[in-house]
Amino acid sequence: MIEIRDVQKIYNGSSAGALSGVSLNIARGDFVFLVGPSGAGKSTLIKLIFREIDPTSGKVFFNGRDMAGLRESELLKVRRKIGMVFQDFRLLRQKTVFENVAFALEVLGESPRAIRARVSLALERVGLAGKENSFPSRLSGGEQQRVGIARAIVKDPLVILADEPTGNVDRENSRRLMELFEDINRSGTTVIIATHAWDLVNGMKKRVVALEKGLIVRDEERGTYSHE
Amino acid sequence: MSPRTLFYYIKEAFRSIFRNSWMSLASIGVVAVTLFILGSFMLLNINVEHLTGEIKDQVEIIAYVDWEITPEALDELRVRVIRLPQVEEVRFVDRDEALLRLKDKLGPMVEGYGEGRPNPLRDSFEIRTIVPEDIPAVAAALMDMPGIARVDYGTEVVEKLFQFTAVVKWVGMAFMLGLALTAAFLIANTIKLTVNARANEIMIMKYVGATEWFIRWPFLIEGMLLGAFGALLPMLLLAYLYGRTVAWAELNLVFLPLVSPQAVLGDMGRILLVLGTGIGCLGSLVSIRRFLRV
Repeated sequence: MIEIRDVQKIYNGSSAGALSGVSLNIARGDFVFLVGPSGAGKSTLIKLIFREIDPTSGKVFFNGRDMAGLRESELLKVRRKIGMVFQDFRLLRQKTVFENVAFALEVLGESPRAIRARVSLALERVGLAGKENSFPSRLSGGEQQRVGIARAIVKDPLVILADEPTGNVDRENSRRLMELFEDINRSGTTVIIATHAWDLVNGMKKRVVALEKGLIVRDEERGTYSHE
Repeated sequence: MSPRTLFYYIKEAFRSIFRNSWMSLASIGVVAVTLFILGSFMLLNINVEHLTGEIKDQVEIIAYVDWEITPEALDELRVRVIRLPQVEEVRFVDRDEALLRLKDKLGPMVEGYGEGRPNPLRDSFEIRTIVPEDIPAVAAALMDMPGIARVDYGTEVVEKLFQFTAVVKWVGMAFMLGLALTAAFLIANTIKLTVNARANEIMIMKYVGATEWFIRWPFLIEGMLLGAFGALLPMLLLAYLYGRTVAWAELNLVFLPLVSPQAVLGDMGRILLVLGTGIGCLGSLVSIRRFLRV
């Protein structure tokens, strides 16, 4: 479903490439960890898939379509099939939990009734039923990330892209978040998680793509992330 | 745009106004103060124009005729005056009528003239031009005509008045333009602050797949609402203050005929409302532009 073909990315003003010739195939329903030290190129890869940035050379395909050739309206359609989860949650502080999740559907012009039903379902799925009217500042880090995940899954995306989703969450909650991602993946959604939480990766036995200095150094089914 | 989406935009705009209430108040305040000054200046300008118009309309030329002129020469002179292209109206005032008018005005001070004592006044023409600005030229032409002894039109006063009104008009226009630009700049900046405060929200909107116009509309509506609220305040205040001023002037400054409130306030209100809304809309557009680039 996602094909990255010989992609190179050099940011303006830097001599070394963030990615130097990366090729990767991710099929529908895959669960993939992108691992590696800081600056290895994990986040850059996530941003390229979302087309937040363009590659310096090479191509990124989503469902067989070249992302670089997409018009604004087509890009929006693709983005609506992708759910993003961020390390810093990126919740709207002045909106309630319900409103934060509903936001993703309001943008798509859904009816209020459908929004209510789907948001309730999503919140139930991430274990936040009953917290609809709380504001993010009243929630723990783990709970805030659950809101972020609910916002990502509420529009039934084909792919979840998560960039260091457990970076601001304690160990126990991180483990639970991973279980949640696994549950989401079981229902058919492709999940791609960039992380350097080696213990979580090792406990999951999923596909692991290891990056170092902008290159893929390892790509293993049921892989692990060695900790040096 | 479906009614539901429109409703969503308006709801979001109001929500943002109330959630950022301090910022909103600041924007409304800026619009209100600027439009109040602008509106006051508009009223001042309209009244200066009105007053100078009144004064100009009252300005006329009086051409005094030679003592020795024959009735035939007088008729001929009258025809020549009427034929001047800039002249609208000519009235002949003979010396007896002139004396009567003087007696009306001054009463006992001129007692006896025309009865025992000789009438010291001359026959004259009272001449109105089509446009007041032609008065000096017409006066010069009259001066060259044989049979005219003296031409009087308050030379200095009229020329000064014309200069003064021209200056007031241009300075007023420049001042109002400057104020309108300042208002737009201030509002753009204030709205930029609200947009800055919501940069996070805009980014998240983009991450969940919102179109640019979906992001833009609530801000546009917010800007227009802030501008409109900001215009409403000076509209009401100016209407009240101007009404009071005119009422006061009618009693205390009878010689100063101000434009009636009914004649100006409607138009001025519309102008202020359109300006406020337009400036708010423009401010939003400008300040949101740079956040939409991804």
